[in-house]
Amino acid sequence: MSSRRSRSRQSGSSRITDEQISDLVSKLQDLLPEARLRGNDRVPSSRVLQETCSYIRSLHREVDDLSERLSELLATSDMSTAQAAVIRSLLM
Amino acid sequence: MASTSSSTSVDERERKRKRADSTPSVGAGAEAQPSKWRTRREHEIYSSKLFEALRLVRGGGSTSASPSSAPARGRAVREAADRALAVAARGRSRWSRAILASRRRRLQAAHRARLRAPACPSRHPSAAAAEGKKAPALARKAKVLGRLVPGCQKLPFPALLSEASDYIKALEMQVRAMTALAEVLASVSSSSGPGSASAGSSSSSPA
Repeated sequence: MSSRRSRSRQSGSSRITDEQISDLVSKLQDLLPEARLRGNDRVPSSRVLQETCSYIRSLHREVDDLSERLSELLATSDMSTAQAAVIRSLLM
Repeated sequence: MASTSSSTSVDERERKRKRADSTPSVGAGAEAQPSKWRTRREHEIYSSKLFEALRLVRGGGSTSASPSSAPARGRAVREAADRALAVAARGRSRWSRAILASRRRRLQAAHRARLRAPACPSRHPSAAAAEGKKAPALARKAKVLGRLVPGCQKLPFPALLSEASDYIKALEMQVRAMTALAEVLASVSSSSGPGSASAGSSSSSPA
């Protein structure tokens, strides 16, 4: 952490405190799906970063799977009825 | 004195009303950001943009390289979804600008980006090898995170964290919107004709 502190002092006019960093880390931790299961105070930040990376990767994979599914659905569906159904679902 | 104080209170009330009415229009403020990706309105905006983009993908699919291969079409859908997501961010986050910029760069000069890409990863492992395993685990994980979020490789740590949290929220909205869209399309293709369950309500979303 000391290397990061020196880097932040050199980089900008705003002094980035450890408190800010831990605040950001806790916000990130709250986003993670596992945050609700365990006590939030005792998780080290390296673990939070690791969970964040794996969570982003799983989200990417989910988006890829959904893209595959959507491409198949779009190829086989009739566009006019699909459009009507989408607009109807958005208006509801 | 009384007039200035009343005017400032009016300003504050207007600002609060604006923030409550249309969260996308307010620039700063941490409280505007978390709700931004969770409002129904953002979901609707993204869903309609996504569907438009997907329609174009489908329409132009016959002219592109391999129209019948599923991975190419899936990738096109993924890119359209990412672009729509980046547009929905309204340029206020670094990852969204990076997504839009990289696509433009790729359209203009394909091989130039490919020449640049192999140079960067070769630099990173050599730096890590020079430090040995002494590089703190936190910095290593921050680098991995920086590679996962588009356009955030060289950000300082706090900016990287805030970009990552915004990106995660946006990705979650993307997943929700695409799932809902897939369900709608699946119900359309499975049902024989129109007339699925509930009728549309009278309220129409403003432009």
